[in-house]
Amino acid sequence: MPWFLHLALRQLFPPGKRFPAFATVSILGVGLGVAALLVVQTVMNGFGEEHRLRIRESFGDCVVVARTPIEHPQDLLKALRADAAVASATPYSEGPALARQGDFSGVAFVRGIDPTDQGHPARKYVFAGGFDELDDGRVILGFGLARALRVQVGDKIEVWSPAMAERAEKGKAPLPAVFEVCALVRTGFTEVDDRAAFIPLRRFNQLWSMGDRVHGLTLRLKEPAQAYEVAARLNVGRPTLQFVPWQEIKKNFLEAIRFEKTMLFFLMFIITLVASFSIGSTLFSAVIRRSREVGVLVALGARRLDLVALFGLQGLLIGALGTSLGFLLTWLILFFREQILGTINYLFGNGDMVANVYQFSKVPLHYDASDFFVAAFFTLLVTTIAGLVPAFWAAGRKPSEAMRDA
Amino acid sequence: MPDPIIVLSAQGLQKSFASPAGPLEVLRSVDLVVHAGESVSIRGSSGSGKTTLLQLLGGLDVADAGEANFLLPGRGLVPAHLNLGKGVGFVFQNYQLMPELNALENVRLAAQVAGRPATGADAYALLESVGLGGRVRHLPSQLSGGECQRVAIARALINRPSVLLADEPTGNLDEATGAEVMRLLLQVVAESGTALVLVTHSREFAARTDRQWVLSNGVLSPA
Repeated sequence: MPWFLHLALRQLFPPGKRFPAFATVSILGVGLGVAALLVVQTVMNGFGEEHRLRIRESFGDCVVVARTPIEHPQDLLKALRADAAVASATPYSEGPALARQGDFSGVAFVRGIDPTDQGHPARKYVFAGGFDELDDGRVILGFGLARALRVQVGDKIEVWSPAMAERAEKGKAPLPAVFEVCALVRTGFTEVDDRAAFIPLRRFNQLWSMGDRVHGLTLRLKEPAQAYEVAARLNVGRPTLQFVPWQEIKKNFLEAIRFEKTMLFFLMFIITLVASFSIGSTLFSAVIRRSREVGVLVALGARRLDLVALFGLQGLLIGALGTSLGFLLTWLILFFREQILGTINYLFGNGDMVANVYQFSKVPLHYDASDFFVAAFFTLLVTTIAGLVPAFWAAGRKPSEAMRDA
Repeated sequence: MPDPIIVLSAQGLQKSFASPAGPLEVLRSVDLVVHAGESVSIRGSSGSGKTTLLQLLGGLDVADAGEANFLLPGRGLVPAHLNLGKGVGFVFQNYQLMPELNALENVRLAAQVAGRPATGADAYALLESVGLGGRVRHLPSQLSGGECQRVAIARALINRPSVLLADEPTGNLDEATGAEVMRLLLQVVAESGTALVLVTHSREFAARTDRQWVLSNGVLSPA
């Protein structure tokens, strides 16, 4: 082992001291900074992943739309289902309608779906009633819409479609369609929960006078991450159709999450910077305190680079150990995140924000190796620089001056 | 009889420091020659420039004028400041041991810093020769002042220097311990054939060296 590394280790961890003050406080400071950074990043990743999953489950991996309703979609469905990248393809139609129950009414965004579709994402978000109860006389409502209409499973609602208004214009007395609520869904997306109403596609086409036409198709892909490439490929030779990958459906929302994560990285990185500055200042005072030792080392033949290495390595070691501690703390905090959140909720009476606001059963996580790599790289860089500044100062001193100073 | 080998020489050394009252001339013109194996002492009042002279001889500082050279085996006389740690050993008044290293590690450190291969056995043998064979694992804080100075002497000798510069090595020790350290210092340099330049206030210790000088008004003259 080079002498300067040996001496750096000994100066950081003097024999006989289990928790040397300088090293302990410095490593703890860096560790907490790294942990704060990574906990925030990992939870933000989790929220992002969860939102991306919900976007895909709510809207599909790829949506096929056209300027006009798609006529006779069966051939197109058959061709798409035969594609190797497509896991399933289902038709849908959708449109706004007036929903009413007694004196309560609301605008519903009605979507006609295949009730036998076993892979339909809405199944996952049913929290009352049953998806399989859906038939021509029943409707599945979003949680917020049901609340606005003051209905529960088993209650009846009236639905007025725009086609009925056309009928009224022609002098015919329109009658609302009556549906029994068979299930309620809660996806966590306000625009879905507050407006969605699912009815069978056949019934939708009757109420909207759509005939055999549909508004679009929902594709689920075998590799959702490849949605851009698959959509572009499928679009070739189908100029009247538009294949929209899921990343484009809520692009602004996803961009906002990404931007939020980036901003939080910089905010949290400031904590690490503060810890590194404190290392720099403490190391500076240690170097001044060791002035005579610096002079002696020069008298023994130490080169300037050796002295730079001696004190620079201390910054690097603190950074490395602090980063390792930060990784461990990150894992511990995230492992016990539910207990920690429960305690915070208990102490501050916020209720279960994760469940109430985000409709997540637990705090979502997604470990991303690149976050850990970036955090480690920047932390080591900053702590090493914090060590190098006093190191260069010490190495630049005349040994005779250094030995005169206490 | 062949001429004695010169291990340290200084010609016309001058050094001054800036002060509020103008440049303070500490060394006016110092000439000095030390031969292999001999011991010399430099006495002088406090502030007379003894430590400054020693630092110039050892290469820890650079003279305003003049030059100091020492013998580097295989290379002849070379400028002191270019070869720190190679042919000169230092013993300081305050021992200046690394507080985090034990006695053995302190001695080995000098060899490692100078880039010389020195085994633990070499360092141990030196510590044993200064009477500390049983305390090699002790930290400086666990040793007395006299013992620390003995570690410092062993450290100064590990690289087999041609000359050893000792700056008031007994200054921090009581009379009895100082006498013992002085006896040991003279003994080990005699055994190793290393020349000694001793800066001291003590006439008694100075008298034990082969030649004595006095530094006064920036000029070195025989006592």
